[in-house]
Amino acid sequence: MPSKHFCGSPDHAVSRRAFLGSTAALAAAAAADMTGLDVLSSPALAGELKKGRKRVILLWLAGGASQLETWDPKPGAITGGPFRAIKTDVPGFQISELMPQMAKRMKTTCVIRGLNTRNGDHGSGAKLMMRGRRDEANLRYPDLGAVVAREMGRADSKVPDYVTFYTQTEGRSMAPGDAGFLGARFGPMELTTNNTPEFIRKLDTITDLDHRERADLRDLLGKQFAKGRQSDTMNSQNEAYERVRGIMASEKLFDVTQESQKVRDRYGPTQFAQQCLIARRLVEAGVPFVRVARAWWDSHGQNFETHQEMVPELDHVMATLIDDLGERGLLDDVMILTLAEFGRTPAINASLGRDHFASAWSMTMSGGGAKGGAVYGKTDPKGNTVVAEEVDAGSLFATIYSSLGINPNKNYYVGSRPIPLVNPGVEAIAALAK
Amino acid sequence: MRLRLVLAAIVFTLTANASPAADLPPADRTVETVVDDAIDAAIASAGVTPAPQTDDATVIRRLTLDLVGRIPTAGEVDAYVKSTDPRKRANLVDHLIASPGFTRHQASQFEVMLSPDIERRGSGAIREYMTAALKDNKPWDRIFRELMLPDESDPKQKGAADFLRPRVTDADKLTNDVSVAFFGVNVSCAQCHDHPLVKDWTQDHFYGMKAFLARTYDAGGTLAERGFGIVRFKPNKGAEKAARMMFLTGTKVEDSTAREMTKEEQKKEKDEAEAAKKTKKAPPKPAFSARAKLVDVSLEKGNSDFFARSIVNRMWHRFFGAGLVNPLDQMHSENPPTHPDLLAWLARDTAGHGYDLRRLIRGIVMSKTYSRGSRYPTEALPDARLFAVSRLKPLTPQQLATSLKLAAADPAGFDGKKPDEFEKLMEQYESSARGFASLIAQPTENFQIGVGEALLFSNGDRIMKEFLTDGGGSLLARLKATKDPKEAAGFLVKVVYGRPPTDDETSALVAYVQKRSDRPAEAYRQLLWALVTGPEFRFNY
Repeated sequence: MPSKHFCGSPDHAVSRRAFLGSTAALAAAAAADMTGLDVLSSPALAGELKKGRKRVILLWLAGGASQLETWDPKPGAITGGPFRAIKTDVPGFQISELMPQMAKRMKTTCVIRGLNTRNGDHGSGAKLMMRGRRDEANLRYPDLGAVVAREMGRADSKVPDYVTFYTQTEGRSMAPGDAGFLGARFGPMELTTNNTPEFIRKLDTITDLDHRERADLRDLLGKQFAKGRQSDTMNSQNEAYERVRGIMASEKLFDVTQESQKVRDRYGPTQFAQQCLIARRLVEAGVPFVRVARAWWDSHGQNFETHQEMVPELDHVMATLIDDLGERGLLDDVMILTLAEFGRTPAINASLGRDHFASAWSMTMSGGGAKGGAVYGKTDPKGNTVVAEEVDAGSLFATIYSSLGINPNKNYYVGSRPIPLVNPGVEAIAALAK
Repeated sequence: MRLRLVLAAIVFTLTANASPAADLPPADRTVETVVDDAIDAAIASAGVTPAPQTDDATVIRRLTLDLVGRIPTAGEVDAYVKSTDPRKRANLVDHLIASPGFTRHQASQFEVMLSPDIERRGSGAIREYMTAALKDNKPWDRIFRELMLPDESDPKQKGAADFLRPRVTDADKLTNDVSVAFFGVNVSCAQCHDHPLVKDWTQDHFYGMKAFLARTYDAGGTLAERGFGIVRFKPNKGAEKAARMMFLTGTKVEDSTAREMTKEEQKKEKDEAEAAKKTKKAPPKPAFSARAKLVDVSLEKGNSDFFARSIVNRMWHRFFGAGLVNPLDQMHSENPPTHPDLLAWLARDTAGHGYDLRRLIRGIVMSKTYSRGSRYPTEALPDARLFAVSRLKPLTPQQLATSLKLAAADPAGFDGKKPDEFEKLMEQYESSARGFASLIAQPTENFQIGVGEALLFSNGDRIMKEFLTDGGGSLLARLKATKDPKEAAGFLVKVVYGRPPTDDETSALVAYVQKRSDRPAEAYRQLLWALVTGPEFRFNY
């Protein structure tokens, strides 16, 4: 059905086909493109993609890490806590002493210190910070992973588009990956109990030959049925089965023992470190979006002990990831984000904890088109409010999208209704454009 | 072809508004003839050739899936195809609609329709309520009344309260969900501003609807309603104002109870809620129930069009895979129906026949439009809005799982069963498939099947253990006794797809088995896998 909002010009279809550059899945791929938008609808964007397909690793600091013990320390203030601030390789910019390794790498990283996202609830805060906006009553928005999968994934991809690790149970059910109206095609492959995806390995009861040939037989039956019939949903099913063997072949990507002991030691022995190493393996193989969740930062009590234990791990793993990607020549194409549902209160409570706080907190973007060395936003001396360059969830997402080369104002279509990637009127932060 | 599409577009534009009632087809005509005349007329004016009527085997598969939520057994297909009774389709439809499978399957469909979000679907109580209601063929307006004004002391209506209960903590969400589910209108855009594109919907509409619903609350487990209350909102322009109860048509309700509650009334409410918690009985109903008023107003002559058109559109969507208005929650003047007169006639007819859902459904599935083929000989398909070719409908999780169970069973097990035994057996298959169904995604608009489902079917242990077994009573066990691969392949296709195999299929399937002469049992298992994972099984076509 021709949509009045989508030109449907054959030129676009041709360019997309040329771009995909493969033969088999093409008809299915183009037809499955049912949200009616085209990666190459903008010539500028097409140019951007040719340079390198951007990918994202999101380090999800579940429960809400403290900005004061990481990116926005307030040493000496009554709210500052016991840790000092240290100099970084960006003149005039200091971070917490718990992050000595990142202090030497801030030229790779852009820090946003003025986040005011107005939602201090774990569940709805996680939804907001995974989507950049609140769902409407009857419209579920895709999250960041699904949008990046949609924009940067290949229709005929042999690897998953969106992988999320969330092994700890705290907060997991509150922050599921969700493709919203984009549908299952762009939904996450979720890994919770171990580091290998479910159903990626064939059962022992069938030989590899039989597994492959019965799929060929299915394909033959499907093609007969498809004669004279057209359906986007049918195409998506065929495409899903066509991807099975490729995804199965990507099982090794999830296996850290494929890496040398030296590389594994470099990341470190923790689960978070190992999952970040897998994330590196995945993006290297072309997976557009990987989230690694590390829980549980929700330090209502003993905030300083919690952060003394968890921040150095984050510091080490994040620094290693940046170095490793840099050495492989991937840092311009892979963006590492640190983000959570919110930050923590400057006020220290009676249990020496910090509570939920969404009015003045921080996040980071490293590599992948982010403006390294930039610090955006300023909080007051105690960290209670943003005093300059305030950023809300919408403009943060617009900034992430445009750093990745995705036009935040482009439309998806639900039925005939145009839905831009960010709400109308929301703009990327101009100062962070590269 | 291109010119025809343009012409079709012009036809749509010209007929965007329904004719006056006097110009609609006469009221005494049957649903199916009015449907076919209207659809055929639009196809003819577009200069398009529709797909031919589909064959009997496909008709019984389509009807059985749509009406009772499963594929037909090989025996049912055979009997239907062989029958020369000119009334065989009507008899089949009547038989299926009268069967318990109909109420169970339609109840599942209504459950999803009322609560598209799985989180709000609750414990399945709505499905139980809907099953009982459909069994009694309760009219849709009565069901609406019971869902909106549930009498929780009546055990038969207990589940009805599960529509409101999970929503009462968020009056905005409740307002929109009620408007979407019963009136086909999504007013959420008008919550923050007058709708930018649709002049029908202003903030007065959203808050006017909310004023009917905002007094409803959860009194410790039972639903209750305040006798007073006022909804205020800040319009885009001007000062904050109080919302008047107003239905979507603009009909306003005079309301002397629109005021804040006094301190005493608030205390009384609190006490009553405490008491309700202890006695598990709802607090007394208010003298004036705003929610009951909404139900009355929305069913009044002059206002009931929204209610009637929405249920017609949703039933049309259920059986044709698309509405006369799409999306289903965008029924407003800027989004006209594809066939305005047809929708108007069906809405009038349905209201005029006491919102009898069975009558409407029967009429739809008896139409020739419903039994059109899903294949079209040329690559350029007619505009989908013409309903000139049947759409493929992905099976719901329950349809798919139950059908898998049936396809994997030895069809001899269904032979010679008395009707009530057969029905009981079908219910058992349905129940035993429920667990697997929960692993499958519910179809939505623009539904896509993800690689997760393909991986589950390709490598999941459950598929092998629950479906593709060769234990007693299974199709695969039956095949062990077959010596001739050609006969076995033919039998498999017959049971799973309800039709004989094509020559190409026969040679491919036989070659597959012959290549595995050392492991024929495995070969047949793999054939069955290939058949049930194919689109011919995954879709109602």
